[in-house]
Amino acid sequence: MTASPDLKSAATQAAPSPRFRISRYRRLAWGGSGLACLLSVIGLVLSWLNPAIQAPLKPGLDFTGGTQIQIERQCERGRCPAITAPQVQQQLARLDLPAEKGDKAPNISSVAVQLLDQGQSIVLRLPALGPEQTSVVIQKVNDLAGPLNKAGTSVDTIGPTLGLQLLQGSVLSLLVSFAAIALYITARYDRIFAVLALVALAHDVLITCGVFAWLGLILGIEVDSLFAVSLITVAGYSVTDTVVVFDRIREQKTLLGSLPLEEQVDVAVDATLTRSLYTSLTTLLPLLALIFFGGSSLFWFAVALTIGIGVGSWSSIGVAPTLLPVLARR
Amino acid sequence: MARQQGWLALILALAIAAGALLMSFPLQLGLDLRGGSQLTLQVLPAGTVKKVEKEQLEAVKDVLERRINGLGVAESTLQTVGDDQLVLQLPGEQDPSRAAKVLGTTALLEFRAQRAGTEREMQGLLRLKRQAEAVLNQRRTRVAASVQGQPEPAKASFAAEDLAKALTGLGISVPEGATETEQLELLLDAVNRKVVALYEPAQLTGKDLTGAGRQQQQTGTGWDVTLSFNREGGEKFAALTQGIAGTERLLGIVLDGRSISEASVGPQFKAAGITGGSASITGNFTPEEARDLEVQLRGGSLPLPVKVVEQRSIGATLGAENVRTSLVAALSGLALVAVFMVVVYRLAGAVAVIALSLYALFNLALYALIPVTLTLPGIAGFILSVGMAVDANVLIFERVKEELRDGNTLIRSIDTGFSLAFSSIIDGHVTGLISCAALFILGTGLVKGFAVTLAIGLVLSLFTALTCTRTLLRLLMSYPALRRSTYFLPAAQLPGSAA
Repeated sequence: MTASPDLKSAATQAAPSPRFRISRYRRLAWGGSGLACLLSVIGLVLSWLNPAIQAPLKPGLDFTGGTQIQIERQCERGRCPAITAPQVQQQLARLDLPAEKGDKAPNISSVAVQLLDQGQSIVLRLPALGPEQTSVVIQKVNDLAGPLNKAGTSVDTIGPTLGLQLLQGSVLSLLVSFAAIALYITARYDRIFAVLALVALAHDVLITCGVFAWLGLILGIEVDSLFAVSLITVAGYSVTDTVVVFDRIREQKTLLGSLPLEEQVDVAVDATLTRSLYTSLTTLLPLLALIFFGGSSLFWFAVALTIGIGVGSWSSIGVAPTLLPVLARR
Repeated sequence: MARQQGWLALILALAIAAGALLMSFPLQLGLDLRGGSQLTLQVLPAGTVKKVEKEQLEAVKDVLERRINGLGVAESTLQTVGDDQLVLQLPGEQDPSRAAKVLGTTALLEFRAQRAGTEREMQGLLRLKRQAEAVLNQRRTRVAASVQGQPEPAKASFAAEDLAKALTGLGISVPEGATETEQLELLLDAVNRKVVALYEPAQLTGKDLTGAGRQQQQTGTGWDVTLSFNREGGEKFAALTQGIAGTERLLGIVLDGRSISEASVGPQFKAAGITGGSASITGNFTPEEARDLEVQLRGGSLPLPVKVVEQRSIGATLGAENVRTSLVAALSGLALVAVFMVVVYRLAGAVAVIALSLYALFNLALYALIPVTLTLPGIAGFILSVGMAVDANVLIFERVKEELRDGNTLIRSIDTGFSLAFSSIIDGHVTGLISCAALFILGTGLVKGFAVTLAIGLVLSLFTALTCTRTLLRLLMSYPALRRSTYFLPAAQLPGSAA
């Protein structure tokens, strides 16, 4: 930016001996990141091969379409008459649903029933139902396990075509934001920087996806449209982080241009190390608050962001800058 | 100095304005925070319309709005989304299934005369219809009667083999495992479609209606829907009834391609037809059905069919719970960041915390002003933007520290810190805004809410981090007592006095 005379003093003092030389550890850094990426790819592939999932990530209601009904029972003194999930399942599977708007009523024998909080809440997963069919199902549950707390009921229905639209929209916005960021970095800096920023970004997004692939395989965690949002946010943030280091390298170019590139990178990383860690930390702190106090709706969203931003901080220190000398030589 | 005071005055004025704004305009909460239902209706192309145009979407919206008003649901909103979708929001515990039913029907009402020479076929169909209706009606009333403790009415029945014969006669394949009730409904539906085929094209439609009402039948338990026509409609109705008066041909009332009522017209109307511009549909409706049909007819028929593709309902207590948890998360997030800043950056950190509070205040005021409807993902965007807003301060203060370590004076270090950190801050914000733009343009409702709050946060944080922090810091530096490097950096890190 501004060619300030203070630059000189700053750089010449830091240049001779960076306290921390990232290039010494670069093989370790690459190895670690490579391993994490490999594990992520394995997770995604395993998930794809898994007959129960058949996709790199386990798609949630938003993408598959369907109806999810969460019902809270009204229990006296916190004790509800005991019911079991199979009981509810069997009763619901036998239910006749009214046809809606000339479409045949969907077959709900595959209804999945889950009991939460010692049977106080019931979660149902069904094929996409119309509003009228939904109320028939809720009425049936009311007959089986009532009385129900009406204010504690939530219904989510996503039509199958809308689910596909959401998925396409998410993937498209992810790709568009990648491309736009790459263009911006190219315009502001250099093609090599843009390539590296994209490598770091892909690294962060891949590992975040990988973690959720494993979570899907082991715990059955699904990804929804909020997960797509978290990926795009991570992408934006990852670049922000990486750019701080690049900005520094560019800034000291006039003073350290004669030094080998490895040296320049070491100086830049060392000088920006604290702020890279601190900026990630200040973003992680509110996210941790969301994880611990934010309630169940935002829990996995906050987890995805935390992983992505944590990994993003790492890649902006250990991956993108250390790859610069390698790439620049070609 | 005068410039600093100008900025300070501006910041103070903005803070007061923001406070006043928040007092007078409450924040709008989304349905996921206050409880309610949201229905997304997809407008489908039909007939000659291959793609839904803007005017057609608006026309559908007009009809739906009239129907919603007729239903009397409180505080509902209907908005167009994208090219071919409408979103209806029903706050509170209003039943979405009823609204969906009333809104989702096309409600094309037609009055049609029976074709000559179809009398025998019609009789056969109507016999089936009456029988099926009687059995179904009886089932319905029996359920009601057993609740009210009334004696059961006489039994109507439909022998299983007759039913099967009738169904195959109409060419209906019965799905396996269908109950008798389901079979009867299938039969009734098929008969009602078949009957329509025996009519001439429509001479009179719901377009010529001026009003609709309902009344209880004098005999029986059902309800009738009454209609009144405009002048033109009245004349058409008279001509229509005159044409078939005294014959065995019937007057059919057809709704969405299904016959709902068939009436004979007596010979006394041979001269002039039924005049007076009113009619009634004796369809043996339940009170709710009569009410819904009345609302639909008053609102007019939909120019294009619609389909419910999304429903999200959240109970009021769940919404309140969401508000509570996200409030706790937001406040504890802010507190954590504040503690971190003060511990690491001391005096400058404290200034940043003030700037951050201003940031939160401005943010909320903007939400109220624009207005942004706050949803759960929106709040998450806000919480996240708090963390990102501090990033700019961290970049600046680290730079200031660096300058101090190099032995520069405090004032000079602060100025250099601000100007050198500027370019990375801009880069970070621009890339963040790029992501938001992608999310906003390509995302759907939920995602849009997040993108909007995050984008507002990013733009505001540029202002608070650069202007507010700088102005406040300068102001503090005008007091010599505060002008000490140790308020910014531990003494051990400062270069020796020799430097």
